Amino acid sequence: MIGAKVIAGVVQVLGGVGLSPLIPGLVQHFKARLQGRPGPSPLQPYRELRRLWRKSAVSPYPRTPIYELAPPIVAGSLLLALLLVPVAGRSPGWPVGHDALVLVGLFALGRFAITLAAWDTGGGFGLMGASRDLTLAVSVEAVLLLVLLVVALPSGSTDLLALSASAARARVWGEPAHWAAALAFALVILAETGRQPVDNPDTHLELTMIHEGPLLEYAGRELAYLHWSAAARHWIMLVLATELFVPQPAPFAARLAVLAVSLPVWCVLLALVETTQAKMRVLRVPMFLGAGGAVCLLGLASWFAGGGS
Amino acid sequence: MSVMGIVCAAGVAALACGAVLGLTGRWWRLALAVQAAGMAAVGAAGAAVLFGARAIGQGFRNGFSPALGVDRLSGFFLMVLALIAVPALMYARDALRDAPRAGVTCMLSGAFCLALVGLVAARDVTTFLGFWELMTLLPATVILVVRSDEHARKDVFAYLAITHLGGIGVWASMLVLADHGALGGMPLHGAGLRALVAVAAIIGFGTKAGAMPLHSWLPRAHPLAPAHVSALMSGVMIKLALYGLVRVLFEWDAPAPLWVGLALLGVGALSAVGGVLYALFQHDLKRLLAFHSIENVGIIILGLGASLVFASLGQPQWSAIAFAAALLHTLNHAVFKALLFLAAGSFASVVGSLELDRLGGLLRRMPWTGGAFALGAMAIAGLPPLNGFASEWMTLQALLHVAVRGSFGVSLAGAIATAALAATAALAVFCFVKVIGLVLLGAPRRAQCAAAQETPVGMRGPLVFLAGLCVLLGVAPGLLVPTLARLGPGSARLAVRPGVYLPGTGGLPTLALALGLVIVVGGLWGGARSRRAAPTPAWACGQLVEPGLRWTSSGFTKPVRLILESVLRPTRELTVRTQGGVVQEVLYDAAVPHLFDTLIYEPVTAAALRGAAVIRRLQSGSLRTYLIYLLGLLVLLLALVRVGVLT
Repeated sequence: MIGAKVIAGVVQVLGGVGLSPLIPGLVQHFKARLQGRPGPSPLQPYRELRRLWRKSAVSPYPRTPIYELAPPIVAGSLLLALLLVPVAGRSPGWPVGHDALVLVGLFALGRFAITLAAWDTGGGFGLMGASRDLTLAVSVEAVLLLVLLVVALPSGSTDLLALSASAARARVWGEPAHWAAALAFALVILAETGRQPVDNPDTHLELTMIHEGPLLEYAGRELAYLHWSAAARHWIMLVLATELFVPQPAPFAARLAVLAVSLPVWCVLLALVETTQAKMRVLRVPMFLGAGGAVCLLGLASWFAGGGS
Repeated sequence: MSVMGIVCAAGVAALACGAVLGLTGRWWRLALAVQAAGMAAVGAAGAAVLFGARAIGQGFRNGFSPALGVDRLSGFFLMVLALIAVPALMYARDALRDAPRAGVTCMLSGAFCLALVGLVAARDVTTFLGFWELMTLLPATVILVVRSDEHARKDVFAYLAITHLGGIGVWASMLVLADHGALGGMPLHGAGLRALVAVAAIIGFGTKAGAMPLHSWLPRAHPLAPAHVSALMSGVMIKLALYGLVRVLFEWDAPAPLWVGLALLGVGALSAVGGVLYALFQHDLKRLLAFHSIENVGIIILGLGASLVFASLGQPQWSAIAFAAALLHTLNHAVFKALLFLAAGSFASVVGSLELDRLGGLLRRMPWTGGAFALGAMAIAGLPPLNGFASEWMTLQALLHVAVRGSFGVSLAGAIATAALAATAALAVFCFVKVIGLVLLGAPRRAQCAAAQETPVGMRGPLVFLAGLCVLLGVAPGLLVPTLARLGPGSARLAVRPGVYLPGTGGLPTLALALGLVIVVGGLWGGARSRRAAPTPAWACGQLVEPGLRWTSSGFTKPVRLILESVLRPTRELTVRTQGGVVQEVLYDAAVPHLFDTLIYEPVTAAALRGAAVIRRLQSGSLRTYLIYLLGLLVLLLALVRVGVLT
């Protein structure tokens, strides 16, 4: 039991820090293959991080310490978030707890820091992205809370360990509510990780940037932190998808294997969505996510129609 | 009399002395210090009662003989009042230095504090209603003392009119309760009567608390007052309306039925979302902060509603937790809103106007005030690891558990309230990113901002104190929560630890989160610091960033305005003046009208004035008409006696 917890802790930290850049790399790789291109190696994000780590930064003016503090705050809040999310249903009991709503708060802290940095330099493109990012965050947070609420129905708790334990049982898949939450969570993943059709991570056109906009001024190690943070956000959302929405056997080793298999599968699915979907108009995204919220409410209704066991 | 009773009485006496001393006009700075000392004594006594000392004075009683006393709930509100009033009064010592009629303002501030103390300590209906009226009238007086322009007088009139019309609800509910002996502990009988009391209390106290749709006075009145009075109004006065609501719904009219809890959830969700949404589109800092008070009152009401719902569902544990969440948010909002209003006052004293689009770059010029303001903004936006996050997390958990534990209808209400609070939190982050960006960051947008000087220590100190409280309450809210949970209905056994650990959650270890964030962010910052190259201007496609192209408040919030166009109904007017086919001038005017004013208040006012015009015809001024009225009344009375209605 203790061994499992230690392994879970190691995967949380080393996997979250070290393997998370692999996820956007895999998505890009699969996307290129789906489009008939050889594409970059899945390891490309690592090479970019190494390159950025060696480069020196530029410092735009005028600025305050907030500009310099933003990348460490974004990366730091995601590092703590990594500790919150259990792996294979276990967590070694980090002192930061394992509550789902704290995770939402840490995401908000990162968003706050990076959008403030955009104000600090006052660059037009950064602020355009920041404004859109914050607008989308309103519906993302509301729908994410509804998803957590529906997922919390069987266990009556927002404890991520309890949620993971109850979701691992195949019984919840008899509940339409869980399916509804899974669908809505898929939409939240697309928005939170900045993937098409919500945002285009490959864009080099400043006018269309959302999450990338406030990153424009950064370079060097600060940009490396921000790129790693984007990868870590992928990791957290996809690990949560496995933990909360994949029925899996109870033994720890089996759950770990399910996680190892499911992460590449999610990457393929993301690549598939990116290949088949065009980016939608920014102002339509809240409608898109609102559909997820409505599905969650329907799920809630179906839970009570089914007796609310 | 107990020790705490003596401390409390001495504090009240000092407060009164300070108020009178202010009238002398020469020693008003000393008077403010005496008032602050008195408030500190009262607050200490209140805190002692809250944390277990014996109650001071009398208990609640019916009848009309005046009675005063402090129990634990009153002790909590006295503590909140003192935590705000002491820094606010100390701030005023330097802030009023160049203000006209400082002595009178000082006297009225002391009297206002006395009225607030009196309301919390009132133990009978006459004292309560007397201090209630004083609490409404004194801030209006302060505003009229410092401002006498047409605009201010109009807004003060609106404030008095709306709060007095709403105040009918307070009078009605309190008098009915006293008449039936409910203040003295007798239960109120009859579902109809109890519903009447509950509705009257929600309308009456809700108006004074600034709950939507009865809030229209709040964004008018709060920005007008001097900074320290704004802090007291937004931080404490509207909370004392909620104190009244808590007394009625949780004590005298208890146990409230389920629909009252659901009604509170509805009012709270509307106030939270509506308040923050309109705050987004404000261009004046103090008006924006006033709208955020509406939002936060909404969050507190959501907590209270959840507590009532849990109580009627038979869940005493969660009922106590939701109640504690509401009280904790009351304290937290008082602290950071007072901080923000005082800092706004400092900015106004240094740079003049508080128009958001004409500030900027103040963090570099005023690091102490600016830093405290940024911290307060982070706290009100509900970000970890500050105090706003702790209470919003608790409220959110309470609402989520309403949805998880209720029957279908209740659960749906809980789910909608949860989503509403989540959206509110995200919108608050949006709004305060905008505020910090426009006020503190970027390049100065006006000469006064570029030349701004930091304020004297007397004005900085209270801000730093309040910012410290934001951190302290954010790091260790769990030391207070179990005490607060005992004040409400139900019971919850919670451990006294820095973090908040609730059943059915993964826990909020605030201390570990705060330490973890500081350590990790510090380490990463150190890691990135070493490599830095020559400064470059921000990227604008190779051009220089021109002052005319800077982002504005309305530009930053435009996506929300476009998405919610059908709800907000913004107005825009574009006038292009051409001469000989050449464009000479383009005028663009856009606004987000306050729909509650244009769709509710203005038609109602117009109808009332029309009605008054009709009724005025009765007053012809002719003696014969009045004789006919008298004759008609006499005949009517005789007829009624004949029929047997009057005996």
